[in-house]
Amino acid sequence: MSCVGIIANPASGKDIRRLVAHASVFDNNEKVNILQRVLLALDAIGVEQVSIMPDYYSIGERALDGLRLSSLRAEILTMPMTSTDKDSTTAARLLCEMDAASIIVLGGDGTNRVVAKGCGDVPIVPISTGTNNVFPVMVESTVAGLAAGLIALDAVDVEAVTYRAKCLEVCIDGKLADIALIDVVTSSDLWIGTRALWDPSHILEVVLARAEPGSIGLSSVGSCLQALGVRDGHGMYLAFGPGGIQVLAPIGPGLVRRVSIREHRLVPVGGEVTLSSDPYTIALDGERYIEVYGTRTITVRLTRNGPRVVDIARCMEEATRCGVFQRLGNLEGD
Amino acid sequence: MATRTITYREAINEAIRLEMRRDPTVILMGEDVAGGASTHLEEKGEEAWGGDLGVTRGLVQEFGRSRVRDTPISESAFIGAAVGAASTGLRPIAELMFVDFFGVCMDQIFNQGGKMRYMFGGKAKVPVVIRTLYGAGFRAAAQHSAVLYSVFTHMPGLKVVTPSTPYNAKGLLTAAIRDDDPVIYFEHLVLLDTSGPVPEESYVVPLGKAEIARPGKDVTVVAIGRMRLFAMQAAEELAKEGIDVEVVDPQTLSPLDESTILESVKKTHRLVVVDEDNPRCSVANDIISLAAQQALAYLDAAPQAVTAPHTPVPFSPPLEDGYIPGPAKIATAVKAVVA
Amino acid sequence: MAEITKDKLLWIYERMRLIREFEDRAAELFAAGQIPGFVHLYAGEEAIAVGVCAWLTDRDFITSTHRGHGHCIAKGVDVKAMMAELYGKKTGACKGKGGSMHIADVDKGMLGANGIVGAGGPLACGAGLTAKIKGTDQVTACFFGDGAAEQGTMHESMNLASIWKLPVIFVCENNGYAQTTPSRYHCAAEDIADRATAYNMPGFSVDGTDVFAVYEAAGEAIARARRGEGPTLIECKAFRYYGHFQGDNLSYYTEEEKAEQKARDPINKFIQRVLDRNLLTKAELAEIDARAKKAIDEAVKFAEQSPYPVLDEILTDVYVSY
Ligand SMILES: Cc1ncc(C[n+]2csc(CCOP(=O)(O)OP(=O)(O)O)c2C)c(N)n1
Ligand SMILES: [Mg+2]
Repeated sequence: MSCVGIIANPASGKDIRRLVAHASVFDNNEKVNILQRVLLALDAIGVEQVSIMPDYYSIGERALDGLRLSSLRAEILTMPMTSTDKDSTTAARLLCEMDAASIIVLGGDGTNRVVAKGCGDVPIVPISTGTNNVFPVMVESTVAGLAAGLIALDAVDVEAVTYRAKCLEVCIDGKLADIALIDVVTSSDLWIGTRALWDPSHILEVVLARAEPGSIGLSSVGSCLQALGVRDGHGMYLAFGPGGIQVLAPIGPGLVRRVSIREHRLVPVGGEVTLSSDPYTIALDGERYIEVYGTRTITVRLTRNGPRVVDIARCMEEATRCGVFQRLGNLEGD
Repeated sequence: MATRTITYREAINEAIRLEMRRDPTVILMGEDVAGGASTHLEEKGEEAWGGDLGVTRGLVQEFGRSRVRDTPISESAFIGAAVGAASTGLRPIAELMFVDFFGVCMDQIFNQGGKMRYMFGGKAKVPVVIRTLYGAGFRAAAQHSAVLYSVFTHMPGLKVVTPSTPYNAKGLLTAAIRDDDPVIYFEHLVLLDTSGPVPEESYVVPLGKAEIARPGKDVTVVAIGRMRLFAMQAAEELAKEGIDVEVVDPQTLSPLDESTILESVKKTHRLVVVDEDNPRCSVANDIISLAAQQALAYLDAAPQAVTAPHTPVPFSPPLEDGYIPGPAKIATAVKAVVA
Repeated sequence: MAEITKDKLLWIYERMRLIREFEDRAAELFAAGQIPGFVHLYAGEEAIAVGVCAWLTDRDFITSTHRGHGHCIAKGVDVKAMMAELYGKKTGACKGKGGSMHIADVDKGMLGANGIVGAGGPLACGAGLTAKIKGTDQVTACFFGDGAAEQGTMHESMNLASIWKLPVIFVCENNGYAQTTPSRYHCAAEDIADRATAYNMPGFSVDGTDVFAVYEAAGEAIARARRGEGPTLIECKAFRYYGHFQGDNLSYYTEEEKAEQKARDPINKFIQRVLDRNLLTKAELAEIDARAKKAIDEAVKFAEQSPYPVLDEILTDVYVSY
């Protein structure tokens, strides 16, 4: 049976970046609309089953309410709800156990990061809900739904249309504390607070999994020095502070800042960096997430253990090349 | 069917229940009239509070959440929706939790509900009931204690009802629900826990009819709402001094039963009006004016109004107690007019 | 986040503790029949009022709600006068005429708790307009509940503040419920912050049980307002321990919800973090605890020993002259 999972994060796109960085607001009802378009695409292409994470806004239930689907069966996953980001990890794990063929993720970098902790080998289709992200792509959700459906129907070669994301594993005193998909940043901010990072003077060190020119956030700082894409075998380490080079980088939407980099170097996949600063907080993929107490040894290892990610454009090209859409178009309609 | 003793609160509840059974177009809405919408209680078919003071308790269990609707705190929207639903075929009962909140939805009440029929040349009817709590004595302070029925009485197109006993609470509400005009139904906070005999079956106390709560020959005391109870107490005391008080409860302030009041005044030649509302432009002064215009020749003394002072309701217990017109003040006024 | 001084940390803790102590005591006194009327208690939401008011001076204004004790204390209103007000005594903040739901102290910029849900928004716009027209840098914080967010006045106020670029910050205290009605039922978007776009102002959500998050958020929003750049909507997600009012049956909470509230206690969270960071010591906290307890003991004693107003007071303060 072809089954697609959906994880939509109601809390994404509404933190303080709306104030400090003029970031776009992504309201819950817009997420419902996006999900409806995903469902219509999955239905149209012939996927049989979709399983949706429950959430406090009931994005799934609301999307299904009154939506006319012909054969797609939809269910809301039965799982304990905490209304925290743990829910996304739990849902990803469940979907993985259920052998879902792909998981569509609605959210930002942070949402994908927590999904990555549970999704195992199931390819994810990340749809961005905001302008502040590197990992998910801005894409029309109808198309993203088709791509997820193509994978679920085995209509394209999964190997050819997906890539394995890099991953940053953060260890505190030798113990794995958490992971990130784009960047790990240590900061002198005392607390997690409102989570976002927007003042470069508070940033101590940065480890990047990727650094693409054209992307937003702290990974753009690295990209000013050297471009590192998803398939490159390296990441980058940067120590902020005077005494080195200065670059001008879009560290957030609306925030083009001059940043001083004291030191930087490439980090190979498999390599490990031991941070030298004594931070109060560690940010993962742009959000302060861990408060550090006392002097700790913090190491960051770059791996290729990230999730398998569907390259939506490539997936659609591949399907076209194989004549999938023509074949589907000629099927006896009902 | 039998008559038994129930509270004013239960009488109101029973009137709503019986009318909802009788007529499927009767619906109830307001903030927390059931309570707990979309929580685990709703799944179990239960309510949270059944109204802030439990007046509508148990109704959602019987009629379901489609007809007993919790609303957001959007009085303009849901009171206005009640008016709109009334003009299009339902008989909504909307609860404005405290009459003090009329300020946030008055347009919907008096400009829409109250004027629709007139403006449309009689082509619309608006059978809506707005139930609302009023009155001092609950230590609820200035924004949850006002009386204000005079404001609504002033406005053409609205009917105003002020039940004072469990018996008339049930009968007047039944009449209000069946009435084809907008009715503002005033429930006195302090009366909710009073009890009295009420028949089990449905019955109507007609709108616009006063009740002689106690016949007497020496002086007419018109007493509204809770003031009826105080007037009765004062009358008992005064009877011991040989003063025979006739207590008239208007029951409905708009339309006002002028003839019952005037007949009484013509009989006793003396008038005291007891009104918990503030005195300026009040119902008390309106009734005195009525007597002055239509029964001056019968009056042996200047009529007296016993009202609250012209202030908001104070919080402090001794001040609030002093604010409310009580039996002693009534007795003093009666003695002044019979002297 | 902006640096935070030790004095500020001490102030934050002292205010949060004072609110908690005041509310716990008010709950007891109400249950014992000492306090007339109703009390809507702020326990559980301390981080919001304190995190916001930490940036305000007596010259700045706040508007409040029926759940106003915490806002008063955070804004520096004297707890003795507050407690006496709850008792309806002559020495109360409003001479006993207002009570819990109307407690105010204009000299402290506290424009009143409010018995009318959603009524603070327009008042806050007015205070903001005064500052704007007089050219001062005063800011007004408008506290309102998730339930109040559904009131027309709040929509109108946020729109007005935006088109006039008023120095007002709108602080939505989303404790998940309006009386017994959950925000998932009464609010079509659930996250009140979502509405900011429609008013053309920045809006975002923070954890309202984390005083540092509220402090940081309010700092940015207030700075923006002082710069003349206009209003901000901050939604603080929190909970209230005592339910809607003291005496609420809480039937609409599930057991899990109650357990979750304990785990999110804003004061415990604060304590643990400042101790772990060695910013404050246990002794310093204990001293504040003792001071708060003493202040409330004294407030209760003061309230109990104060006289009631005399009946003539009923007629005063209605008009300036009449
Ligand atoms: C205009 C108006 N309508 C209704 C009420 C009754 N009431 C008082 S508080 C309240 C709930 C308010 O909920 P919310 O704004 O979320 O504040 P919270 O109590 O949760 O702090 C209601 C319905 C009122 N005081 N004023
Ligand atoms: Mg609330």
